[in-house]
Amino acid sequence: MAQTTFDGSPVGVLEALRQLRRQAASYQGIWSWIATVDHKRIGIMYGITAFLFFLAGGVEALAIRLQLARPGAQVLDQEVYNQMFTMHGTTMIFLVVMPLSAAFFNLIVPLQIGARDVAFPRLNAFSYWTFLMGGIFLYSSIFFGGAPNGGWFGYAPLTEKAFNPGHGIDFWALGLQILGISSLASGFNFIVTILNMRAPGMSLLRMPVFTWMTLVTSFLIIFAMPVLAVGLFELSFDRLFGANFFNPLKGGTPLLWQHLFWLFGHPEVYILILPAMGIVSEVLPTFARKPLFGYPFVVFSGIAIAFMSFGVWVHHMYTTGLGPVANSAFGVSTILIAVPTGVKIFNWLGTLWGGDIRFKTPLLFALGFITMFVVGGLTGVTHSMVPSDYQQQDTYYVVAHFHQVLFGGAIFALFAGIYYWFPKFTGKLLDERLGQLHFWLMLIGFNVTFQPMMILGLLGMPRRIQTYPTGMGWDLWNMIATVGAFLIALSVLVFIINVIITARRGQRAGADPWDGRTLEWSIPSPVPPYNFARIPLVRARDDFWHQKYREDEAGRPIPVVAGGAHQEHEEEHAQHIHMPSPSFFPLIAAMGFPIIAYGFVLADYALVAAGAVVLLFGIYGWALEPASE
Amino acid sequence: MRGLKSAVRYARLLLPLLAAALLSGCNVAIDTPQNTFAPVGEVARDQRHLFFLAMWPAVVILVLVWGALLFALVRYRHRPGNPPPRQVHGHQTLEIAWTLAPLALLLGLAGPMIGMIIEQADRPSPEENPLQVRVIGQQWVWRFQYPQYTDSQGRPLEMVGRGTEPAELHLPPNRKIDLAIESIDVIHSFWAPRLGGKMDAIPGRVNHLWLVAEQPGEYGGQCAEFCGLAHADMRMRVIVHDSQESFDAWAREQLARQGQQAAR
Repeated sequence: MAQTTFDGSPVGVLEALRQLRRQAASYQGIWSWIATVDHKRIGIMYGITAFLFFLAGGVEALAIRLQLARPGAQVLDQEVYNQMFTMHGTTMIFLVVMPLSAAFFNLIVPLQIGARDVAFPRLNAFSYWTFLMGGIFLYSSIFFGGAPNGGWFGYAPLTEKAFNPGHGIDFWALGLQILGISSLASGFNFIVTILNMRAPGMSLLRMPVFTWMTLVTSFLIIFAMPVLAVGLFELSFDRLFGANFFNPLKGGTPLLWQHLFWLFGHPEVYILILPAMGIVSEVLPTFARKPLFGYPFVVFSGIAIAFMSFGVWVHHMYTTGLGPVANSAFGVSTILIAVPTGVKIFNWLGTLWGGDIRFKTPLLFALGFITMFVVGGLTGVTHSMVPSDYQQQDTYYVVAHFHQVLFGGAIFALFAGIYYWFPKFTGKLLDERLGQLHFWLMLIGFNVTFQPMMILGLLGMPRRIQTYPTGMGWDLWNMIATVGAFLIALSVLVFIINVIITARRGQRAGADPWDGRTLEWSIPSPVPPYNFARIPLVRARDDFWHQKYREDEAGRPIPVVAGGAHQEHEEEHAQHIHMPSPSFFPLIAAMGFPIIAYGFVLADYALVAAGAVVLLFGIYGWALEPASE
Repeated sequence: MRGLKSAVRYARLLLPLLAAALLSGCNVAIDTPQNTFAPVGEVARDQRHLFFLAMWPAVVILVLVWGALLFALVRYRHRPGNPPPRQVHGHQTLEIAWTLAPLALLLGLAGPMIGMIIEQADRPSPEENPLQVRVIGQQWVWRFQYPQYTDSQGRPLEMVGRGTEPAELHLPPNRKIDLAIESIDVIHSFWAPRLGGKMDAIPGRVNHLWLVAEQPGEYGGQCAEFCGLAHADMRMRVIVHDSQESFDAWAREQLARQGQQAAR
């Protein structure tokens, strides 16, 4: 270690960091993870962290379901219940689905475009550490008088100081602000990476669809997150400094919060679902052994969805009394967003049609995505119909709908991605039998949990109620939903067991276990630090497939002798590849944010200043250290 | 494949249970206090109609998509000796068809939707002689005021919930109710599902909603926008009288009681 030169002075700190950094470049030991700027390691850390938060959000869901299993239950009191559903929603959206998608961006995109890393490797590490700091900060609210309790949507004026004097909402607002910084940094990083770092020959319309959806999602992030940031700043100013943005008694407007929140919130839905659609668009062609049907239509419908997603936010506000003109206009725009979504589903069907379908676990999860997402989309059409939504708004029908989209959709697709790409980064295949058990348990558990919620909503059960009297016709459906939630928990347990067993004695995977189509399958598993010994020259969409197969007159693939084979002398070539050095400064800079935020929550401005110093130290160190040495 | 088999075994256990649950659920579910499928007034009935107008095509599409998917999965499953599949990249006519057909269907829904939005946003005119009700949301009770019924001091007839005891909203049958909805603290949402959809109560503004109750009886309702600690307790009882006369009689009696309480 570096103790020999450490004397406590700033120069000593820098020298110690420099020595640690050299050690970290060895890819050995814990420091090499903490200082890593390798997109694959950052992706793995994103994935593991997000999965741990998934378990936390899942436990919160189980607690909610236990409380609601029977009428008049007292498992959780009102205050704790409100904290539970707030944290469940906030966790699943900001700490699970977004970072899990980010994990896949990190792991897959550089490999699919034939790059050695992302455009800004240290900024990438900074995104991860900032996400981790934001998540820890948010959950640390438990030790400061209670978690946030205003719902994931944090409607003012309920979240104003006058109605919510505790620290919870401050943690929520500042925590999301930190997470927003993480998302923005990663959004810019991936836009630049995808636009600038593609291998020669990979034109935009040769890019794999997952990479395309990453690009579209990144644009959504950089346009949507600032809107949330503005709303959160206004809320924090109201709470911390007595501003009156949302206070009607002083001329503020509560509805302003809803406009800002949903102008972010609806694109956010597509930030959550477009990466999932990208994963499905990779998995289906591989296991049907056919190219994606209607590639340009799938890509352009993704772009269309992204544009339209900024024009539908009022459908969260049909019952706020904006009047018939606004409701009609946003009713029509909401109806229209179903069109590009439908185009995607039809093209996925077209991909399977005429294929040679092999039912491996990744495909099962992708099929689970399609079947459940269709239900989510169609129930979405039923409450885009404005007057019908006057009944369904804020009921369990809506809860069922968006879980159909975000669990039946996003989570199923993310598991498809985990099973699909796991061998690429670990060199081992997850167990098929356990994988199939995981899938069926989760599919059944999902339906047993969420389909009864549709009925509950139509029977008039509102969301976010801590309990309900008997005699409403809700008792049975709630009990069934709770049973289903535990089936889902069981399926997640099966997945964890699968990972442990695979780690111990999993089947070795070669470079290309699924007969894949895209560039990531052309390099060894696990992927070497430099990814590609030689930067590939891309000649076609699904380039790797075309290295392996040529087509006869009928369009049927014929294997090319030794096509796509890994060349031995490449390893030798790899020794001369220059990779960026590890760095501690992204972590140090990221640590500044929670310190600043604690300072604001506790009104301790010395702490704010200390945090700012940490942040500045991190940024200056980062700017002044050579990117590689 | 053992995973699949055990899943089938579980499904065999679970399905009859689900079917039984569904049947028993349907038997008792119709007349529950907040069932949106059991409307007792024009507004709720129209909304249910619009729901079905969107739902039935949705069900048809769902069956078609699931059917096509199932067919493709069975027909094109991998079997040893299959020739490798032809590498089809797309089909332009199909793409145009499955863009335009849903577009036409969805725009077809837009007409009735906009018609109903306008109709339900139209406040009852004075000629229709609506009953005026002022709805005030507060943490965590409802307050209903009837400005057309005042006591000797000119104060309106008022019904308020107390603690967890819900406020009573008394209504005459077959008469348009013109509700003016506001809040004195945070955002709430007025919702009596069997009469119609909800309308938010937002501090600093007055929202309007009209409803009709055609069937005498007692129904439920509750706040539908999360409003803090005791959100679940913010309930109401909707009592629709047999006739305008019985409603008037109730209102007179209630006003008298209100006067006595004020005098005390």
